[in-house]
Amino acid sequence: MSRPWFSPTPVIQGRIHRTTLLVTVALLLLLMRFWYLQILEGRYYATLSIHNRLRLRLVEAPRGFILDRSGAVIVENRPSFSVYVTPADIPDVDEAARAIGAVLRQAPEEIAARIRAGQARPAYPVLVAREVSEPTMVAIEERKMNLPGVSVRVQPTRAYLDGDVAAHLLGYVSEVTQEQLYRDEYRDFQSGETVGQTGVERLFDAFVRGINGREEIEVDARGRLVRFLDRLEPQSGFNLVLTLDAKLQHAAEKAFAGKRGAVVAMHPQTGEILAWVSRPSYDPNLFAQRLSRESWEKLITDPAHPLQNRPLQAQYAPGSILKLVVMAAGLDTGALTPGTTFACPGYFTLGAVTFDDWEKGGHGRQDLMQAVAHSCNVYFYQAALKTGIDAIARVAREFGLGQKTGIAAVGDEAAGLVPTPAWKRSVLGESWYPGDTVITGIGQGMILVTPLQIVTMVAAIANGGTLHRPWMVKRVESWGGEVVAAYGPEPVRRVNLSPQVLELLRQGMLGVVEDGTGKAARVRGVQVAGKTGTAQVVRKEARISGQTKDHGWFVAFAPYTDPEIAIVVIAENAGFGGVVAAPVARAVLEAAFGPPRGRETVAQGPGARE
Amino acid sequence: MYLDRRMLANIDWRIAGTTLALIGVGILTIWSANLGSPSPPRQTLYLRQALYAALALLGLLTATFINYRTIARFAYVIFGVVLALLILVSVAGEVGRGAQRWIQVGGWTFQPSEFMKLALIVVLARYFEDHKERLGHPRLLVIPAMVALPPMLLILKQPDLGTAVLLGLLTVSVLLLVGLRVKHLVFLTAAGATMAPLLWSFLKDYQRRRVLVFLNPELDPSGAGYHIAQSKIAVGSGEFFGKGLKAASQSQLHFLPASQTDFILAVLAEQWGFIGCLVILLLYYVLITRGLEIAGESKDIFGALLAFGIMAMITVQLVVNVGMVVGIMPVVGIPLPLLSYGGSSLVVTCIGIGLVMSVHLRRFLY
Repeated sequence: MSRPWFSPTPVIQGRIHRTTLLVTVALLLLLMRFWYLQILEGRYYATLSIHNRLRLRLVEAPRGFILDRSGAVIVENRPSFSVYVTPADIPDVDEAARAIGAVLRQAPEEIAARIRAGQARPAYPVLVAREVSEPTMVAIEERKMNLPGVSVRVQPTRAYLDGDVAAHLLGYVSEVTQEQLYRDEYRDFQSGETVGQTGVERLFDAFVRGINGREEIEVDARGRLVRFLDRLEPQSGFNLVLTLDAKLQHAAEKAFAGKRGAVVAMHPQTGEILAWVSRPSYDPNLFAQRLSRESWEKLITDPAHPLQNRPLQAQYAPGSILKLVVMAAGLDTGALTPGTTFACPGYFTLGAVTFDDWEKGGHGRQDLMQAVAHSCNVYFYQAALKTGIDAIARVAREFGLGQKTGIAAVGDEAAGLVPTPAWKRSVLGESWYPGDTVITGIGQGMILVTPLQIVTMVAAIANGGTLHRPWMVKRVESWGGEVVAAYGPEPVRRVNLSPQVLELLRQGMLGVVEDGTGKAARVRGVQVAGKTGTAQVVRKEARISGQTKDHGWFVAFAPYTDPEIAIVVIAENAGFGGVVAAPVARAVLEAAFGPPRGRETVAQGPGARE
Repeated sequence: MYLDRRMLANIDWRIAGTTLALIGVGILTIWSANLGSPSPPRQTLYLRQALYAALALLGLLTATFINYRTIARFAYVIFGVVLALLILVSVAGEVGRGAQRWIQVGGWTFQPSEFMKLALIVVLARYFEDHKERLGHPRLLVIPAMVALPPMLLILKQPDLGTAVLLGLLTVSVLLLVGLRVKHLVFLTAAGATMAPLLWSFLKDYQRRRVLVFLNPELDPSGAGYHIAQSKIAVGSGEFFGKGLKAASQSQLHFLPASQTDFILAVLAEQWGFIGCLVILLLYYVLITRGLEIAGESKDIFGALLAFGIMAMITVQLVVNVGMVVGIMPVVGIPLPLLSYGGSSLVVTCIGIGLVMSVHLRRFLY
């Protein structure tokens, strides 16, 4: 059979045939080019490759700034001198390291090790020292003839303007480590480049880092710059706008000065982190300038754990803060009503065991609201027994205790622990005793919480029952102000408690500040609701830390109607929460809602001097 | 799918053999180019390429045993899907190294722009088969040009000048085959020239710089010309027998940019010298001329155009890439087919070769 629809094929076949000829010619031309380059000019190019005097160097992009929610700069860059050595230009590594070490006053072994690490790519200069002082730099310039391959360059160095303020939230940057270079996620990094190591600096590193540029230079036989050949300009990183409020952060840091522990302030309606204090702290500037081995050793062996991000990672017994949970559980199951009363003679006996109240003479007969306001232990021993551990544990989990908040952060978030009879049996192999329920009722025993969990819980109480995932970066912006990425509230879920129960919790907390253990947190002009707590330091813990004083807790939200701030304060080994922690919360709230109106009028009295 | 012993016996071993040889040389070169790298992930790039190669050969076999008439039937659908993916990339793609080219599926990222090469060939072949009675009619050449334009602009916008230009050259070569006259080409070029300002506005600064430097190397002998200069040093210093696998200082000292992707041939030329380059060009020559023979023997227009288009794709990439490496063409990011590091490019080329083999297998069947 003929192919009727195939008529154009002879034409096409002819063209395809001609294409074959074309391909042959093209490949022959390319081959001739290879012949020209490799045979005719081969010697010339071989010489060129031996004497390749081109050097490539990295031009580090300035990292983006970090700003607080109102645009105030918290982290920026400033120029500093760095010293580089190009391995290709060094005849003898050890000798060079000795000469350089003498000028820099650094151990030659360390310098030699750095140069050796860079020898795989000898055309790239290796960073040997950052933040070199002016006199040292002059010394290097003077001795340039004797220091082949050494160059000094100005580079942006990260500057944390307030030193150790909010260090744990911001994180720090440092040179990418050898160990990191071995991991796939750091494949595009080169030794000597700066990378965010923790905190926001690490989480948003891809945005903040920018794109590094490159310089191609021609050098002479001693590795000195002859001329610039090309420069690929670096592109600065994007700026980060945090949810953090610098004013509140500073107030919190100031009020918390000298204490150990944590302060976290959060916007209850959105979950935005407004302040994040973890003390003791460290100065991230030290990392950016390259930390000496001794300083690093000192940081990691410090018994107070300055590197620990306490709001996220420290677990404490909640103490009387947990009474809010017991109250909610009791009201929810009907075991308690606002009118339920118990007598408090100052102690409570269960079988052969006696549990004390913190008030020696007792509080007398009290109803629920009074018991919360005065944080009566004996009342809550009995309330807990009546409510039962299962309901307490259920409501605790409902408020997010015993689970990670899921905040986007670097470092392991602690989950805390909400003990139940089943947990105790399977983990400790013991049965649950009524006494366990009694001490859980005042937040002691096995239960553990993190400050972040507690502030999330308080925010949920304040906002009418929504559990938010805390977040701390509002926007990523270009230098022109263009929004690159924007973030918003992340509601996790609704707390399964009736509005009436939440309302009673809020009323109870109001009573604590107005007329109870939290009076120290009163702020003129604003209604504050709060709860004090004091976590006993158990014997084992005390033996390890040598500290026997209790941890003081305070939580609060304000203003009472339409809350704008939820806050948690925990001061380790400092004493009563109402005494040591509540004033810190007050200082933050005062910073937020302005100084009392009376004082303002006096200060601004018009024409007082004339 | 129709499979029998006769089909297996008819597998074209010239094509299969050269393909396997080129892929193998690529993996070897990627391995050796990163020998001195301080970054362990780079040292294991060749393993990834081997994995991509396995995937690509699977694609090749599948394409071989699929009846290409099925591809013809779904030509427009295929083109539509790939175009949609391209649009998706421009909206929500991964940004890598300053360009938006990748889509992530599970742990894999792939570049739809690579797949667009095949999709465009397929849709052009189908279009001309549908209009085979009037092949050569000037009006028939307008619609294909219009079809090729949206993907080209999308890819240019990513920005990926190399692939966009490649799509243009592919379209032109298919048009030439079905009867585009030189005078039409002149007309198209004139039209293109009037479009040039628009195209220019799509280009990023670095791309403009490269075009300008190519047109007039005196402009910036040390800037964008740097890559070309370094590449020429690498190639030339290989001389007749090469420096050997481990002594290739040009590439291992990282004077050579993109040594495992676009400039892989420079590494190879430094290592194996003129002999190596001769062998590589011979392998490509056998592959391409055999592919074109198959195009000529095809039983139908679709098959002829499909095989021709795929061979044109490989040829154009080869000539542009090698031309760039030896310094007679501008530095545009076009990988060397089968040799350069990169999964999408390898998979696409292999599927293409598989389709050509499918055309060969079915040249007698109806």
